[in-house]
Amino acid sequence: MTWQDFIHDMQRCTRCSYCKYIPWRLIRNFRFSEGCPSAARYHWHAYAAGGKFNLAYSLLQGAIDINDSLLEVVYKCLMDGSCDIACKVQQDLEPLQHMQEFRVECVARGYLLPQHQPYLRSLRAEDNMLLRRREERGYWAEGLEVKRVTSDKAEVVFFAGCRYSYDQDLWPVARAAVHLLQRAGVDVGILGADEACCAGRAYELGYEGELMKFAEHQRDTLATVARTAGVHTLVTACSDCYSTFKVLYDKIGKKSDVEVCHITQYLERLIQEGRLRPRKSLDLNITYHDPCHLGRLGEPWIHWQGREYKPVGTQIWLHDPPKRFRRGTHGVYEPPRNVLKSIPGLELVEMYRTREYAWCCGAGGGVIDAYPDFAQWTAAERLEEAHEVGAEAIVSACPWCKRNFLDTAAITKDRIGIFDLVELVERAVGGSE
Amino acid sequence: MALSEEEHKVLEGIVGPQYITRDPIIMESYCQVWGNKLEFGDKWHRPPAAVLLPGNVEEIQAIVKFCNQAGILFKPFARGFEYVATYLASSRGILLELKRLNRILEIDPKNQHAVVEPFVPVYQLQDAAGKLGFYVGKPGVGYSASCVSLACCHQEMTISQLYTSGYGRNVLGCEWVLPTGDILNLGTANRKGGWFTGDGPGFSLRGILRGRAGANGGHGIITKCSVKLYPWYAKAPSECELKREPGQALSAAQLEKVPDNYWVDVLTFPDTERMLQAARDIGQAEIACLVAPAYMNTGFHEEGNDEQWAKLKESPPDLGKFARMMPVIVNGHSSRELEYRRKAVRAAMEKWGGWLEPEWNTEKVKAQIFQYQMWSTGVPGLRATGDFMLSTQGADGSVEMQLAYRPVEFQALQPFAAAGNVLHPNMGMSYRPMEHFSLGCSGGIATDFDPWDPASLAAGKEYLEIVYDPHGPCRRFGYANRGAMMQVEDVNHIHERWGPIYDRADRWLQKVRNMLDPNRVADWSAYIPPEYQERPDEERHACC
Repeated sequence: MTWQDFIHDMQRCTRCSYCKYIPWRLIRNFRFSEGCPSAARYHWHAYAAGGKFNLAYSLLQGAIDINDSLLEVVYKCLMDGSCDIACKVQQDLEPLQHMQEFRVECVARGYLLPQHQPYLRSLRAEDNMLLRRREERGYWAEGLEVKRVTSDKAEVVFFAGCRYSYDQDLWPVARAAVHLLQRAGVDVGILGADEACCAGRAYELGYEGELMKFAEHQRDTLATVARTAGVHTLVTACSDCYSTFKVLYDKIGKKSDVEVCHITQYLERLIQEGRLRPRKSLDLNITYHDPCHLGRLGEPWIHWQGREYKPVGTQIWLHDPPKRFRRGTHGVYEPPRNVLKSIPGLELVEMYRTREYAWCCGAGGGVIDAYPDFAQWTAAERLEEAHEVGAEAIVSACPWCKRNFLDTAAITKDRIGIFDLVELVERAVGGSE
Repeated sequence: MALSEEEHKVLEGIVGPQYITRDPIIMESYCQVWGNKLEFGDKWHRPPAAVLLPGNVEEIQAIVKFCNQAGILFKPFARGFEYVATYLASSRGILLELKRLNRILEIDPKNQHAVVEPFVPVYQLQDAAGKLGFYVGKPGVGYSASCVSLACCHQEMTISQLYTSGYGRNVLGCEWVLPTGDILNLGTANRKGGWFTGDGPGFSLRGILRGRAGANGGHGIITKCSVKLYPWYAKAPSECELKREPGQALSAAQLEKVPDNYWVDVLTFPDTERMLQAARDIGQAEIACLVAPAYMNTGFHEEGNDEQWAKLKESPPDLGKFARMMPVIVNGHSSRELEYRRKAVRAAMEKWGGWLEPEWNTEKVKAQIFQYQMWSTGVPGLRATGDFMLSTQGADGSVEMQLAYRPVEFQALQPFAAAGNVLHPNMGMSYRPMEHFSLGCSGGIATDFDPWDPASLAAGKEYLEIVYDPHGPCRRFGYANRGAMMQVEDVNHIHERWGPIYDRADRWLQKVRNMLDPNRVADWSAYIPPEYQERPDEERHACC
């Protein structure tokens, strides 16, 4: 669908402002009732999903043109999808898909945000969006005794993703993930330097051509290693990569035959099967931060093609065939919690905004690159929420969340513990590097 | 007309650069609201010259005073869901979005009132008050409606009036920035004594403050308001666990049972007349906290339109029966009191030949009714077709008057419904008690229409022409208005056309308006114009 195809949604957005908050009936603390960081930070209605419907309609009618101001509104958005979930409690609209296509349109018309361009150049030249050289990609696994699926047989490929591959502070998480899989007896390998970006983040910026190109590359790569190495499952510890492989590639018809799992799902499976036993008690009061791309944005894509219509003699709008909307409820929520609950001594306390209505960490949608102050403001809000529920540490399952929380805590001098779930499991089973 | 650079600088100096914008891109999001198509014929209404986010009353005073100096129209709004909230009668007008005034300032359990700022939604106060054992007069318009707007600017149409009185009775002390920029405090003579009376040291100004439906910014800005609280015998909304199955949408999250100390009955009657008589008996006996004749808004709507339609096709409900059904909720601070009230409701039911339909009196349905009707309701009609309109709602009066009015409204609506141009669920007219029926009740039909379907839109407009026509069939039922007073005066000219019929009430309202706003800077589009523009007679009588 193109952005113009959402004209029905543009016309029917009522300005109820539900998109700005988590669903009202689920609000537990009004200090933490907002769902859209963009609307919360920048105030004006245009920054909410409803406002963007308005701007798109005005653009469609020729009332406004794309300019720097409009680009700022469009890109000061984390694309985290909170608006989408809240809106659909009340309406049959698609605010997130509309915003995605609106970004695609901006790019197609040549309106590019300058701050993003170095990252796109890096992607095109070096297959990553972290401004690093391609040949450095496998450094994270140096010294790690793990198979290379390009040359060895392995049933499972661990896909590190750009952030884990290039962010040295986070290498221990990726290495721990591999250790845990090996310890459980999983026949695992990696792609190492032969890995490339999934391009999910580029797509979020509006560069759909990049997604198509990298999706085809990944599908070819996985088909090859499935054939040559016997790989049947891809496991990633990056929520962005998970969402891209699981959801976006399916959306654009480039889904691989290889099973896609997030590390939290795989660890849950290993623990349930008794192949991993977290025995060591970790005396810690933690809260779990649902990464957007693992949660609501990790919900499988629902294909629908059809038409809108009104039955004769009525005015109600329906779909033929009936359309099932993605409401975020089928994201990955229980596996990480089950893993955490399996660790002795951990006290898991939930924040006010969880699961499909979780507050974003601030790293999504290209904001961390273009508007780092907004990214940090968003993260600081989340850390404050973690403190509010009495957590000593915030645990996530995505390197982008951890990176942004770490950077923000350093700036704000927040001493809360910041962990990836993998790190805690590794401690609990013993044998960290 | 845009503001001059100098004018913008002055306003920017008051609120700070981050809290004012005149960016044309941002302005586009302050003029597109549901209902515009019906009212203005397009998705848009007039965009403001600027939007400001004042942070306190001093800033608001300074803005208003400057508007008086510079001749700039101003309008405040809180949550901004209604088109009357953001529409300005002139392009040389600014909007004051009050989102930074978002605090519950005080909850006074002893005197049973709360002081709030304009951006506080009623659900937030409901929750905060609920934790202290209190309840707030609730709207029928969704969780996010502003407490202050409801108390001061909205027509009384809540179904909880048996328990909480009408909105107009709930306004206590106010901090009111008049259109001149002066502050008028309504409340006790000794301000240290609190906010628990609305009438101040002199004569009552509450009638002027809100009247029947408020001035919607037309006589200034309410920056603080004290509202009454009522006893509440259950947990606060946020403390109640809402159940849903794994994978179910949030819209399915429901209470599992009606809380202790509350009881829900869904009564069914042989006809509307007997239903309303029973409602009046229950209301005047003051034994219930909610009675909702023909108002079966229980949140039964499914996840989406497709699911809703499938369910209707699978097992079509007897919608006609809804017109004769009446949810009643009672509470009690003890089990004996609850039981007494429950028996009294059943006695009224039996007196008027009513009964309990088993399928509408299950634990789950009762819990849904409790959840939706005690705390709030959404507006599912907006999802179904894109827009809805309430019938005139002008006809508040005795039960007998409502019964006389009912066929008139049905007759007006029937041709459009028969042609399929409006979606009328055939549930009939629903009724809200005015106080304990001591002021009668209001009745109305919520009619869904598709504003983007030319035939449906035309039907909506024609229907309004009938009910707005001072020479039409609604003439004898009182001043017409679109439900909740959501008409735009410089489009609909309701006061101008109906005032002459009703003792020139419009002239008196104009005098009040012009006395409060000598420089004519407070937006009058949802109140009354300072004067009527000269127009040919035929145009004066044209509708919409």
